Amino acid sequence: MNRLCMLAVTTALALLPQMATAAEKTLTVGVSDALSGGGAVYGEPQRRAINLAIEQINAGGGVHVGEDTYKLKTIEYDDKADPTEATNVARKLIDRDGVKFLMGYCCSASTGAVASIIGREDVIMLVGTAGARAITAAGNDNVFRTRPPGDYSGAAAGRFIASKGVKRLGVLATRDVALFTQYRDALIEAFEAEGGEVVALETFGGQDRDMSAQLTKLRGLEPDGYFISGYVEQVAFAYRQAYELGITAPRYGFSGGSAEQFLSVASSEALEGVWDLIAIEFNADALGDTAKAYAKAYEERWDAYPTPNSAFAYDQVYVLRDALEAAGTVELDDVKKALRNLAVPEETVLEYLPVDGKMFDPKGQAYISNGAFQFHNDKWDFVTKLPSDSAAYSAYFQTITK
Amino acid sequence: MLVDLIQQLFNGLVIGSIYTLVALGLTIIFGILGIAHFAHGSVAMFGGYLTFFFIQQFGIGLFPAMAVAMAVGALLGVVLERVAYHPVRNAPPINAFIIALGLTLIIEKANLLVFGVDQVIIPTGFDRVFNIGGVTLPELRVYILGIAAFLVVAMTILINRTWMGMAVRAVAQNRPAAILMGINVNTVSMFVFGLSSALGVAAGVLVGALFAVAPGVSGGLVVKGFAVLILGGLGSIPGAIIGGLVLGVSEAFASAFVSSAYKDVIAFLLMIGVLLIKPEGLMRRRSNR
Amino acid sequence: MLTVTNLRIAYGGAEVVHGVSLEVGEGECVALIGPNGAGKSSLLKAVCGLIKPTAGNIVFEGADITGMAGHEVARRGIAMCPEGRQMFPEMTVMENLRLGAYRRRKEDISAEIEEVMTLFPRLRERASQMAGTLSGGEQEMVAISRALMAKPQLCIFDEPSLGIAPKVVDEIEDTLVKIKALGVTVLLVEQAVSMALRVADRAYVLEAGEVVAAGTSAEMSSDPRVQRAYLGA
Repeated sequence: MNRLCMLAVTTALALLPQMATAAEKTLTVGVSDALSGGGAVYGEPQRRAINLAIEQINAGGGVHVGEDTYKLKTIEYDDKADPTEATNVARKLIDRDGVKFLMGYCCSASTGAVASIIGREDVIMLVGTAGARAITAAGNDNVFRTRPPGDYSGAAAGRFIASKGVKRLGVLATRDVALFTQYRDALIEAFEAEGGEVVALETFGGQDRDMSAQLTKLRGLEPDGYFISGYVEQVAFAYRQAYELGITAPRYGFSGGSAEQFLSVASSEALEGVWDLIAIEFNADALGDTAKAYAKAYEERWDAYPTPNSAFAYDQVYVLRDALEAAGTVELDDVKKALRNLAVPEETVLEYLPVDGKMFDPKGQAYISNGAFQFHNDKWDFVTKLPSDSAAYSAYFQTITK
Repeated sequence: MLVDLIQQLFNGLVIGSIYTLVALGLTIIFGILGIAHFAHGSVAMFGGYLTFFFIQQFGIGLFPAMAVAMAVGALLGVVLERVAYHPVRNAPPINAFIIALGLTLIIEKANLLVFGVDQVIIPTGFDRVFNIGGVTLPELRVYILGIAAFLVVAMTILINRTWMGMAVRAVAQNRPAAILMGINVNTVSMFVFGLSSALGVAAGVLVGALFAVAPGVSGGLVVKGFAVLILGGLGSIPGAIIGGLVLGVSEAFASAFVSSAYKDVIAFLLMIGVLLIKPEGLMRRRSNR
Repeated sequence: MLTVTNLRIAYGGAEVVHGVSLEVGEGECVALIGPNGAGKSSLLKAVCGLIKPTAGNIVFEGADITGMAGHEVARRGIAMCPEGRQMFPEMTVMENLRLGAYRRRKEDISAEIEEVMTLFPRLRERASQMAGTLSGGEQEMVAISRALMAKPQLCIFDEPSLGIAPKVVDEIEDTLVKIKALGVTVLLVEQAVSMALRVADRAYVLEAGEVVAAGTSAEMSSDPRVQRAYLGA
């Protein structure tokens, strides 16, 4: 026992001079994400993307803040996409680890819980994939989000569907997830503004996998287009059942699932030709060379292809670097101000549509381009960008709080 | 309009036939032992997972995999009866109730541990769709109706035409008299649990082929099963058959003619209606015992 | 054939049968009479294995069946026509009869069915009717026939006349006489004492859980206590 103590003390003493003479400073960022459970499909890729960006920045010489040069490092916790767990993680990061910058945040429920308390804390919170509108609509001055709210894409999608010549639209959508209901409402409003008619709005619940009855009803109303939105699995079941009901009119959707996820539920025949109208997350075909470089680096580092949502987190790190360098200090108020006036960083993967030349609007919300993807030969093909209007949406966004 | 009506009827009958399979198992257990066997849905999911596992691992077809899973399910049912319910057969009913809840948790969690959290869809290869005058009949759904009908008929024959089936009904209708006839109530209990679990597994497989086997599905199945029991009459076999189909078709029609938001409310409205108007259930005579 | 020795039965600590002994010989018809609450039904339930006695033993055809499970006792050849008929109400008369022969389910039972239909011709008309819809008298016929279907070594009748129209009681008495004539050993429990004594060879009088008198039917009929208490003399 004694000898063990001695050993520990000697080791500590041996390390001490090294630490004292380290020339450069370290800035720790806290990462809170779903690393296990159902949300891990979004959270773990975000964690990897953050680490990739940090390694790239550190290898490139670190972050130059005024006189100092900082190397970035992370403290990571699993919030399991659970509100209680995420709140505990935030407390741990802020109170025990003394972290000033939080990032990650893939899922709406957990992130929403943290966002509701974070306004009173002296930290900056950078939100990734979590889509619930209230996270930034609430208007905390220390919350910044790279992913746009769902209804922003919904309006663009509504205009797009009308532009494809659809006059009578049958809508089938999940009824109890804010992201999807807000998108759907915005879509209907924009579609009707373009002169279209919604023949019926049918809904399904969180556990439903059988939408045959709703689809049969819509089929009877003979719309010339369908819009189906919800989580991937449910939308895939709806496409499968639409196929079984012999529905052939164009089917537009909003779910953002991968081709594999869709094919695990429905056959390629059932999926051929369906549309997904979503914000353009990472996609090597739709986005140019930066995206290809990102995919290559990510694959080398993690031996896996990046998921679409991972870029929201990757971009966070470059946003933070630019803001720190622009502020010239790590003082929170100055960094916040820098974030508000930030131009889109050069290295970001996604295509941001700045408002007044600034990446984040007054509520800390960023906007990206929206795209139309069509399922063809067992994969999603990028077809075209949607008519997005970030300035108009942002003006509306400033007037709401949830 | 007529096409839609027939289409909804078909949709409803397919779902209803699955409800019937679930309810048949619940009703014979309730009839014999007076137990609300909540774990039935988890047993059904276990069967669905197992079938998927057999198909994936051994490359056997759907029907052999389903048959083996039903046999394993029957065995599991017998074990549940012996280990969990038999020891409390003479205790107050609250004991069996608590055990039923505990079993539900245990089997549900065991499914998670063994088969994981991901949803599983049982591959069938039945992708064709038949179209008869505008009414579309997907191959898989037609087979599901057929399989359910076959199992219901087989079970009805078993219960009505065999000595074992007669013993099952005797115990359900008058337990002391059944003992006086020389019927071994223990054997009947085990048989009933085995039969019921095999039917539950069949329902789980059909759900897994048509939709998915996943955590959370079992709870919904059991709730629908008990709704059917109350509709058709507790412990009544014809009641479970009619009740299941009535519930399935009502849900489809409710979606079509009322609102899809109220689809799940329909089960409970029907239940309340039946309790108010014919509390003994659709298919039960007023008891004259 | 059946020997009950010093049998004691208690429900939750309260003893209702205090050491009863009785015997039924092969081919005999023995009546067990006594008022309500004398312990007659408890005694029968113990014999049939529906309850466990606290002390004493029951020997049937040389084998100790004390505390044996009810269905085992039935399979050894003791059939019971229980009080209140105990129909399987949602089964047909025919199914009720077939269940009576459950212990002989691997054998051909059509002859026995014919036999009981001859005994009670009314059952033939009612064969496919639900037992629960029959009148009390008809149900009693089904209950008796169902017990006979087992081809039992010993047939126990528990209050067959209880709650039955008087006209039918006579019919039942005739039937019991016929059954006796068939050579079936019978243990008859009855409150209709005069009827019981007319049918039985011997009788035991049970009061408050004890045998207070025993003897041949003739002796019992002339016993002043029995006359006073049960025969209204």
